[in-house]
Order: sequence, then structure tokens, then C-alpha cells
Amino acid sequence: MAKKSRARARASRSQYAPSRAVVVQRRWRLKLIVGGAILVLALGVGLLARYLQARSLQERDVAPRLQEKARETRYTRGPAGAPVVIKEFSDYT
Amino acid sequence: MQRFEGQVQLVLYPFALNPISEVATQAAWCAGVQGKFWEFHQLLYRRQELWYRLPAPLERLSDFAKDVQLDATALKSCVESGQTQDLMKADKAYGQQLQVSSTPTVFINEQRIVGAQAESDFVRVIRQELERVQRPGQ
Repeated sequence: MAKKSRARARASRSQYAPSRAVVVQRRWRLKLIVGGAILVLALGVGLLARYLQARSLQERDVAPRLQEKARETRYTRGPAGAPVVIKEFSDYT
Repeated sequence: MQRFEGQVQLVLYPFALNPISEVATQAAWCAGVQGKFWEFHQLLYRRQELWYRLPAPLERLSDFAKDVQLDATALKSCVESGQTQDLMKADKAYGQQLQVSSTPTVFINEQRIVGAQAESDFVRVIRQELERVQRPGQ
């Protein structure tokens, strides 16, 4: 009885188990997905690094321009040479 | 500003983003020619609703001029003559060098703050800057 049921189970397993080709195909698909994800991640990190680098270069470029003194015609409040200078760019609309 | 008296200087750069704002900016500069820049500057904000949608707001702005004891005719002819256009363009160019693309943009020393912020945020950054510049060895 037990022998019969074991044989039946084996038969049913082999009936529903995926073929070797399918298994290989699935593995490749998985590898492609993981590889693609890693590639996208690496590209993303690279682009972010470039963006941050460009931004920091821009900031460095901006800093000396901020040191420029206000023109005589400029409207200011507070003493010239104050330790903190606030430059406000605002639009009337 | 008052709480940091003597420690902070505010420099204003009217930054016109559209033709209507350009007229207002020039009017503010022209009010400055008559020694009333700040009064007119505040008035432009206070009465913004009354003029900023008008396609040609100069007439209305000239009307406002009387309320701050400005010579309205002189203000109008000053704007029309374009004598303050160079100042406005210079501000715009300076803003562009600093990568200002929207308003309000505020620099507190070298720290950039973009968009309307709570007063407490400005106070915090000003305090940080004061501490930084007053720290020995900085």
C-alpha cells in the first residue's frame, strides 16, 4: 500500500515539476532582473554624484559673488560691514 | 532685523520676473530718486491686489505715489524715461549670477533660502551665522 502511494506521489511530482529548460529560463530571468536593478541603481548613484558635484561647484562659484559689496545706490538697512549680510531678491508681483 | 540691530545688514534687490513687476520695480527705484524708496516699496506690497493684475499698472502706481507724498508726475515720467532700467537690469544680472530663479530668494551670508519661510527659520540661520563669524579662528 505504502509502496503504491509513494510511487503515485513521485509520478504526480514529476508531472507537475517544471522541466529543466524552464528552470534554467527562470534562473536567467531572475539574473537579468537582479542585474538590471543593480545597473539602474549604479546609474542612479552615478547621476546623483554628478549632480551633487555640479551643485557644489556652482555653490563655490556663487560664494565669491556674494562677497561683492552693495552698490552705493542700493537700498540697505543696518550698518555696512555688519557680520551678517542678508541679500533679499524679491519680486513685487 | 530689530532684534539683531547693529549685527545685520539687509540689502534689497527688487527682482522683476515679468513686465508688470518691471514697471513696479522701476517705480520703486524712481520713488527712491525722491527719497521715498522704502515707503513706496512697502506700499507696493500692501496694495499688491490693486495693481498686479493690470496690464499697464503705471497709472495706478502713480496714484499711490501721492499717498506717500511723492510727486506723481515726476515718478511717472521717471519710469517712462527708463532711467532706472539699468539698475533693474544690473540686479537681474547679479541675481542670475547667484542662480536666483525664483522669489523670494534670500542669502544670509552664503546660506541660500528659497521660498517664503517662517520668521523663526530666518532667526535661526542668522543666529547660526552670528555664532559662526564670532567664533575665534573663523
